[in-house]
This record gives sequence, C-alpha cells and structure tokens, in this order.
Amino acid sequence: FLLPAPLCLLTMLLPPLSPGDPISPAEPISQAYSLALYMQKNTSTLLQTYLQYQGSPFSDPGFSAPELQLSSLPPAAVSFKTWHALDDAERLGRAQGAFQALSQHLQLVGDDQSDLNPASPILLAQLGAARLRAQGLLGNMVAIMTALGLPIPPEEDTLGLVAFGASAFERKCRGYVVTREYGHWTDRAVRDLALLKAKYPG
Amino acid sequence: MDFTLCLTQRSRMVDSKRMRMTSNFQWPLLTFILLYLMSQVNSQKKGAPHDLKCITNNLQVWDCSWKAPSGAGHGTFYEVCIENGSYSCYPSEKTNIKIPALSPGDHEVVISPLRDFGSSISKFILSEKNVSLIPDTPEILNLSADFPTSTLHLKWSDRGSVLPRHSNVIWEIKILRKKNMEIVKSVTHNTTLNGKDTVHHWSWTSDMPLECATHYVGIRCYVDDTHFSGHKEWSDWSQLKNISWSPDSQTKVFPQDKVILVGSDVIVCCVTRDNVSSAQIGLTKCPLIHLDGKNVAIKIHNISVSASSGTNVVFTTEDNIYGTVLFAGYPPDIPQKLNCETYDLKEIVCSWNPGRPTALVGPRVTSYTLFESFSGKNVRFKRTEASTNESHQLFFQMLPNQEIYNFTLNAHNPLGQSESMILVNITEKVYPHSPTSVKVKDVNSTAVTLSWRLPGNFAKIKFLCQIEINKTNSIQELRNVTIKGVENSSYLVAVDKLNPYTIYTFRIRCSTETFWKWSKWSNEKQYLTTEAIPSKGPDTWREWSSDGKNLIIYWKPLPVNEANGKILSYNVSCSSDEETQSLSEIPDPQHKAELQLDKNDYIISVVAKNSVGSSPPSKIASMEIPNDDLKIEQAVGMGNGIPLTWNYDPNMTCDYVIKWCNSSRSEPCLMDWKKVPSNSTATVIESDQFRPGVRYHFFLYGCRNQGYQLLRSIIGYIEELAPIVAPNFTVEDTSADSILVKWEDIPVEELRGFLRGYLFYFEKGERDTSKMRSLESGRSDVKVKNITDISQKTLRIADLQGKTSYHLVLRAYTDGGMGPEKSMFVVTKENSVGLIIAILIPVAVAIIVGVVTSILCYRKREWIKETFYPDIPNPENCKALQFQKSVCQGNSTLKTLEMNPCTPNSVEVLETRSIVPKIEDTEIISPVAEHLEDSSDAEPENHVVVSYCPPVIEEEIANPGLDEGGGTSQVIYIDIQSMYQPQAKPEEEQENDAVGGAGYKPQMHLPVTSTVEDLAADDDLEKTAGYRPQANVNTWNLVSPDSPRSTDSNSEIVSFGSPCSINSRQFLIPPKDEDSPKSNGGGWSFTNFFQNKPND
Repeated sequence: FLLPAPLCLLTMLLPPLSPGDPISPAEPISQAYSLALYMQKNTSTLLQTYLQYQGSPFSDPGFSAPELQLSSLPPAAVSFKTWHALDDAERLGRAQGAFQALSQHLQLVGDDQSDLNPASPILLAQLGAARLRAQGLLGNMVAIMTALGLPIPPEEDTLGLVAFGASAFERKCRGYVVTREYGHWTDRAVRDLALLKAKYPG
Repeated sequence: MDFTLCLTQRSRMVDSKRMRMTSNFQWPLLTFILLYLMSQVNSQKKGAPHDLKCITNNLQVWDCSWKAPSGAGHGTFYEVCIENGSYSCYPSEKTNIKIPALSPGDHEVVISPLRDFGSSISKFILSEKNVSLIPDTPEILNLSADFPTSTLHLKWSDRGSVLPRHSNVIWEIKILRKKNMEIVKSVTHNTTLNGKDTVHHWSWTSDMPLECATHYVGIRCYVDDTHFSGHKEWSDWSQLKNISWSPDSQTKVFPQDKVILVGSDVIVCCVTRDNVSSAQIGLTKCPLIHLDGKNVAIKIHNISVSASSGTNVVFTTEDNIYGTVLFAGYPPDIPQKLNCETYDLKEIVCSWNPGRPTALVGPRVTSYTLFESFSGKNVRFKRTEASTNESHQLFFQMLPNQEIYNFTLNAHNPLGQSESMILVNITEKVYPHSPTSVKVKDVNSTAVTLSWRLPGNFAKIKFLCQIEINKTNSIQELRNVTIKGVENSSYLVAVDKLNPYTIYTFRIRCSTETFWKWSKWSNEKQYLTTEAIPSKGPDTWREWSSDGKNLIIYWKPLPVNEANGKILSYNVSCSSDEETQSLSEIPDPQHKAELQLDKNDYIISVVAKNSVGSSPPSKIASMEIPNDDLKIEQAVGMGNGIPLTWNYDPNMTCDYVIKWCNSSRSEPCLMDWKKVPSNSTATVIESDQFRPGVRYHFFLYGCRNQGYQLLRSIIGYIEELAPIVAPNFTVEDTSADSILVKWEDIPVEELRGFLRGYLFYFEKGERDTSKMRSLESGRSDVKVKNITDISQKTLRIADLQGKTSYHLVLRAYTDGGMGPEKSMFVVTKENSVGLIIAILIPVAVAIIVGVVTSILCYRKREWIKETFYPDIPNPENCKALQFQKSVCQGNSTLKTLEMNPCTPNSVEVLETRSIVPKIEDTEIISPVAEHLEDSSDAEPENHVVVSYCPPVIEEEIANPGLDEGGGTSQVIYIDIQSMYQPQAKPEEEQENDAVGGAGYKPQMHLPVTSTVEDLAADDDLEKTAGYRPQANVNTWNLVSPDSPRSTDSNSEIVSFGSPCSINSRQFLIPPKDEDSPKSNGGGWSFTNFFQNKPND
C-alpha cells in the first residue's frame, strides 16, 4: 500500500502552481481531505513500527510518554473551544506550520534511525513515506490558502541547531514524539479539513 | 629516640656494671646508683637539651631538633658540636639544626646551651640508623578528567633532583568519591628516580561516570633507598584535588551512548535536581544508589548483548523520563579465512569472514583496513549495516612489478581491534574468469580448433586449461592443454582424435600452471564434425527364397561410429568366377535386396556410401552347404538372453552366424542374426524383440570358404510361461467301470513353453454341485493322474462305479506353470448284472416267505379258526365290549360314544415300495455316500401297519391341554410318518417321538404360522420328511419326480397321511382342504432340523 502514495502526491503537488487566481477552494480542500484520511490510516502503524524498533521500554506494550515534547514541534493538542474559534487563516496556518515542521523532523528521525537501525528497511521506508505524505499535505494546504487568498507564511527552519549532538536516547525520544505528533496532527488535519469542506462545499 | 636512646644506653651500662658487682656490694651499691640516676635525671630534665631527633628528606642534610631545657628562655643559643672525624661545632639560635649527613657509624653530639647558666650540656650518640627518611609531601601538578571515557589523568613531579639516583619510589594514590569522601580506589605506583625532576602521569578509569559525583585524588610517596640504613617513612598525603562536573540545568543520564563489552558491569547515573522515582534497564527495575544531592545511580551487572538500537536505561521522575542508551557488543573477531587472489592480475580481491557478530551497527560497526606493508598502501572497508556472517571483500589495485604482497587486515570497532595477515605471491593465486567467446572451427573430419577469450594481464604466466569433450551416449572426455598467457587476448588450441560426423559439446576452464583454482566452466559450444567415408561395410546375411531361385541379401544399417556420415545408399554386387554383376544403387532406408541367381556359388558384396565416399565391401557367400544329421534342440533363456554353445570346428574358417525368427512364422523367416568370430564356441543371443512365452527358432550356421552350413537348429524360449488354454478333450468311450478320454494338442502360440505333461483329475460328482468347483486342493477323494509322456493323447480311467457321474478335469503344464483346466462330467453306464441280482433276491425271498406262511397256516388252520373265528364267539374275548364299557363308565360327556356302538377296528395291510434312493457303492467315499448307506440300512423294506383298538382312551380325553408331546399321548396312530422318512435314522425317530416334533399333532396344539412364509422351507423339507400334517397341500406337488413318492398319486398320500379317528372313522384331515387355516409348524420343526443336517 506504500507504492501509490508518491504517485498520488505528485498529482496533488501540481495545483498550487497557479497563484493569484481566485479559484474555488473546494477542489484543493477535497484533495487535501482525501490525503489526510489516507494518512490517518497509517499513522498508528508508523508509531507502532517505530516503537517496536527502539527496544524496551519503548517497545513494551502500551508504551506512552505524553510528557515527552519537542520544543521545535508545535503540539497538536488544543482545547476544543480554541480550536473551534480559529479562523481559516489561523487554522490553515497552524496546520501548515505543523506539517512543515513534521516533514523536517521526519527527515531527521529517518537519519537518526539509519544510524540506530540501519538493517531495518521497513522502518526506514515507513518514515520516508510519512515524510513524503507530510510534504504532500503541506502542498495541499498551501493550495487551499492560495485559493482562499490567504498569505502563505515563509518556510522556516524549525529544527535550527537542536538536531546535532543528541544522544541516542534523545534521538529515540525525538523520533517517538515526531511519529506521535505526526499522528495527532494528521487527526487534527482531518478535522480541520472536514470543517473547511463543510464551509466551502464544491 | 635520641635522648631516650642515650639514656637507655647508659642504663644498659649501669646494668652491666651492676651485674659485675652483684656478689660483694650488692645492696649498698644498688642504693648509690639509684640515687645517682635520679639526680642525673632530675638535673637533665631541669637543665639540659633533650630528645634529639634527626630526620632527612633528601639524605644529604639531616635536620636535627631537640627540646629546650625547661626554663630556658626565649633567645637561648646553643652550640652543637659533632664528632665526625674532626670535631666541629655549629651555633644555633633555635632548637634545631641542619647538618650535612654524617658518615656511617656513631657520632657524639654535644649540645651546649649558651648564656643559659642553669642548663647543662647534653651529649648524644647519633648514627644514620637514628635518622628518619621522610620524603617531602608530593604535590599534584594537574588533575584532569576525560568525561566521555570516565578517565582521570593525574600529573605530579617526583623531585628526583634532590634525591639519590636509582632510588625506588612508591607512590600511593587514593581516589575518593562523593562529598563524604568514600575511598573507591587506592593504588600504588612504582617509579625509579633518575636524578632529575620527572613528571609522572597516571590515569584511572572510573567504573562510575565522572559526571555522577565529585572525585578526589590524593598522593603520597615512600622513598626506598637501599643504601640508607635509617628509618623510612611515607610522606604526608598531598593536598586533595577534585574533579566535578558542573551540571547545567538539564537533567542528564551518564554515560551516554556508551559502547561496552557484553557481560561487563556498568554504573549508570542520573544527574538531576528532581526526585528520581525508579530506574530500569529494559524491563528490569534496578535499585537506586543515592549519590550527592538528588543524583542517583544504578549498577548493571553482566549486561547482555544489545539489539541494533542499543539497550535503553531509563530514569523516571515525577513528570518526565530521562535515559541513555548502552550498546553492549563484542570486539571484532579475528577476520577468518582471509584470502587474497586475483581474477586478472590487475586487481587483488581479498575476502574474509568477519567471524562472530559484534552486535554493533551504524557508527559502531566494525571497520576494516587492508594494509599492504611492502608498498605501504591501504584500503578501507566500512559498512553501516550489521555484519552478518557473509563474506566481505576488498579490492586492491595491483602494483606494477610487484608479485609478493603482505596484507594485514585490521578490524576495528569501539571495543577493540583484531587483525589477520596473509603473505601472497599473487601469480600463484590466479583464479581466472570463465573463458568467453568460445568458437570452434574445422580442421578435418577428426580435428577442430577451439578459441576463447580470457581478459587479464597474463603475459607472464602459463595457463593450464581443461577441455571437456562431450559426445552423446558416450562418457565425457577431459583433455588438458598448457598455453602461454597473453595480454588481454584470445587463445587457440587444436583438438584432434575426434570422430567424423559426430556432435560434440565443448567447454573450457582454465587455471594457472601453478594451480590455484579452476575458473568456472565456459558456456557449452556444440559442434558437428564433418563426414568421412564409412569405416566398415554393413553386416550382411542372406537367405534363399523358399523356391530356391532367389537370394535375398539383408544388411544392417551401419552404426553411427562406423557410418561416419549420413549413409545415402548401398551398392550390392554379386560376383562369381566368371562375372561380376552389380545392382543399381539402393537408397538408404532399404536394407535388403533380392537377387535372381542361376547358380548358388556367388560372392555377394555390399558397400555403403555417404557423401564422402564408399565403405569397404562386406562379402558373403551365397552357397548353403547341406547338413544331414540335424535335429531340433530345445533351449530356455536365462535372464535376458538365450545362451548357445557349440563345439569347436576347425573347418569353420570364417565366422559363425546365428539367425533366429519367431517359430510361428512361415519359412523363410528372419528376425535378426548375429555374427560370432570363428574361434568362439559360445554366445548369448539377446534381443529387445524377445518376449516371454514366445517360441523362437534359432539356426546356427558355420561359415566355410565356399558357403554356410546349418549346424544346429534350436527352438527356445526366452522365458517359459504357463499355457493359456486347456487341452481340448473328449470322452471317447464309457462303460460301467471305465472312461476313455482323448485330447488334442495345444497350439504352440498358446502353449507358451515346452509342454512337460498333463494333469488329469477325476472324482465323483455332478455338474451343479458346488463342491466340484476346485480339484487341485489335494483332497483325498480327488484322483490325479500325471501324464508326463507328452505324446500320449488318450487315457483310460478304470475301476469306476457304474451309473455314476464323474467330474473330469484336464490341464497341461510347462516349466512356466499350470495351464487352465478344462472339465467335463461323465456318467458311467449302468451295471446290468448287479441290477438283476438286486431284483431277483427280494422276489425270491418274498416267494419263500409266502410259501412258508401258507404251509404254516394250512397246518394250524384249526387253531386259527378257534382263535380268531370261532363258531360261537366268547363274549369275554370281545374287546369291543370292553372298550364300550370303559368309555361309558369313564366319561358321560362323550355323547358320541354313547350314540355309536363300538365297532371293531379294521386291520389294514399297507404295502410300500422301497424308497431307498439308488445309490451305488463307489470307490470314492464321500460323506454323502456314507450317510446314504446308513439311512438305507436303517430303512425297513416293507411297512406293515396293523390297526388296533386304542387301549386306554380316558386319559387322553381327561387331559387334552397337557398333551404336549406325542410320546405322552395314549392315542396311537398309524405310523404314517415313518413311510415318508426313508432317510431318517431310527434314533432320530425315537427322539422325534420323545419331543413330539414329528408325527401327528392335534391341531389345537400347533403353533399358527403363515404357510406362505414357509413355502421355501417346505421345498427342502419335502425331500426328506414324509408326513405333512396340516401342511399346504399344494407344496406336495413340488416334489421332484425322482423322489420315491413321485410314483404315488397325491390323493393316496393324503389318505395314508391323514390319521384315522377311532371315534369318527373320518379322516381328520380332508384330502384337499386348502381353505383350512391349519398350521404346519409343529410337524416339521425338529425333523427339518435334524434331517437337513446330514444332507449339507
């Protein structure tokens, strides 16, 4: 099931190439929503695969460490009231920022795991696929923002200087937070896009 | 020491004086000395320097000090005079003085306080032995820490410039941990002084990461100078230096990402400001060791090998988790099976097996370096994946003009390194690639050239190549060739001694002449060699046609190795002394030719031709030399062939020929022939065409100059089988005691072997009897005749019984087994003499009995008349009256008896025919026959029944319900049953009577059963049982005609069978009362059971 994703992503990356035109946002919203739904199916598999390769206690059944957070990665958790009160620009802007950060972090986690688990092609492939999907969704978000006429925030280096010199344990934790937040942000994106879809019916 | 020591010396002197003076002045002297000593002591304590003590730290200067006399004020001066060869004095303002080291031996030291008049002079004896060597307190120059490796580096100077050279110095270093200074390590370190100040280094690796707690280090020393005789002491401890890690605000766990050896112990600590609640490695919780502050540590014993991503150690605080990863693995194994070779003398390939996996991957994986010592070049190998057991390879470019290479392969990982070495002469380690571009070219029909390419820089070596030559249906051949190597070029060899017109498959492999390894085989190359003329003429034979006019020449196609090409045609020519006649060419598929010859002494020659040329001719003489004394022999094959032997005949100059054909075919017939050299006397004829059970005819011809002579004629089988048909036989003649049987031959095709004889079985029996089915089971009543004379075609069987059915069986047999059987039933004729005797004797007996009876009756006629028919009957003798009387008295209910006067019973005489079946005694004793004899013996010839008056009738009437069995009944009926039981034994009759199963039964006691259901049973029953009371009358008609009853009509049987009532004179059973619902059950149940049994 991994193969169709990059193809599908390529097609989804194409639309944002025509900025300026006030085209209907329904089409990119629908595309983004479909991709987010597809991504949602695989997030828990990614997290489980990731944890399975990190050894105990990560690989223990039911492992969870909500206290672990990454300062460079915005958390997906938000109160419902706040979330509901977001306007389109904020909603899309946060999601776009999150997936931008996620795509960079997934690259970092992939590199970390090449050192820690170089003989685990399944894990490395899943991390690579997740990164591609995050980039694909990011592209869709940009298309939606373009369609809605919203300003597109510039791409920033969310990782900064934190990436290097981390210990193996920090890398494992980092990867855990990234894969976990990837799932949470995907869940949130599905809801975000469902809301937008209802707001901008095609 | 010093003063005290002096005092001791004095007291010793005193002691010795005392010892000497003990005898005379013991008590007054002792008192005096004691007083003197006390005064001395008091005076010194009060006023003399005392407690002289000398130490040295460099053995050159002694630092002597003493205690000032009591009361000596500040500013007291002393003069110290030392007797050291000369007498020298030193002034001193203090109570100590530094003097140069004194020579060995005792020296008197006099210390005189100056300007202090109350004090007295002190004298001391000083020697080196009284001096203490206490080195200066060492100073730690530097203490540094390498935190990642948890190593402390200590640096200090030995101050060797002030101490004698070559002295040994022992350093004691102590390491303390935590703020409460727990000693964790105390080690000694030996050095030798070299006369200069030397800085020493010492390193120590902590089992606990240095970040975990503060570590302190102190040092002291001990100079072990062998020339110094005084007292040596440890220096004071140096000032402690410490190493501590200044934590930032973050909680951290140490050591981080450490690679450790499997099985070692490790301490992991958490440097934190939070409360750590627990710690675990993998799934195992570990007890916490509390360090300074809130830092904690755990100790892991005997760590097991890690997974690829390491072993996690996690500390849990209230709101977070902290951890580190340990990588437990192994140092690299010694590279195994290191081998360096080259494919092309351009590049060296070194391969090895990594050995035991290290369990370390990624940045920690083993890296390999291949170093060549002569050239100083090296290549590196690094792979990030887990090193599995597969072979690793490194490529090393060959250097021009270097043949010897000394390789060292070094394996390195964070836990250690290992290496293995190999010295190779690379020209001896050539493993060539497999040859490519194999090509074949013709030279002639038996030789080709082979060429192939072998890339590489082989100009200086020689190749040994193997050429594998494969031919269909032949063993493969290997030929070795040596070729000089060339630079990147092709190689060419000639291959000869091949067969013409043959498909060959070639393939090549090469090695160097100094053999190391064969290359892989090249691809196969198939090639067909060109044709050559056939090497031999065809194998020929000739047959005269049946009319003797035509000669048919046969020849066999040439085998491939003799044809040397595709045979296109044959030339047949015949030559006599006068002429030579040649036939036209006969195209190949045809392998015979017919010649019309006017005489029979021709020589016929056959030549095979292919595209290249003609074969040498094969010649055969046409003449057939007659042989008179021929007889047909028999032979049976062994295994796959038929062995033939003959005697050596010197007349036979050329060869022997055995030809054969299927014997069932008409002459001339020829299946095949075989030529045998003239010097042999035996051969085995083998052919795929031979089939078991088929008769073949073999002819052995001997060859003389002028022609062939038939020597032997043999019929044989490759394997004999049993005949597939039985001989056809007929009965020619039968008499009362013999049968003449005649049979026919079995055709050869169906005989399937040499006939060895016939088996004839016979026994008494009839066609439809089941037991006649099988005869060969060796039963005693089966007679067997084995006819081994196969020319015999008839057989008379004598001593038979007349008018008896016989079962005859005939079968043929060969060595292959018994054929099927053919059977026949024959009845012998009746024996007329016996029959006549059998009739005449009873008639004669009857006549004699009749005559005797008549004579007796005539002689006693008066008495008979008086007795049976008197003129005046005597009432007392009237049985009829008695009967009436008793009846009338006995039961008044019997009205009919009263109504009808008693009449005398009539006497009826019944004559019966003999019902014995006609069974003749036979030679063959069978159970049936025995039984039949028994039953016929038991059966009376005639049955005379006399009617009578029932003696007692009252009981029967009184107890009708209890009358279960016929034996208890007082009513006696005419014994009709016995008439119809001719085969029943007398014993059985009695038995039947006793149980009441046979004979008449009153209907009221008979069980009611359906007559229809019992019809089938009745059929059997009727053959054996006579009387059928209450039975379905219809069934009586089913009786077989040969039964004795068949002569009588049914109505007669009925009248006989029905019992006569004494009361009514009526038959109790009406003649044909089909509607009467009577059961026949009681009448047959037991008799059926007993009478059927012997018949089975």
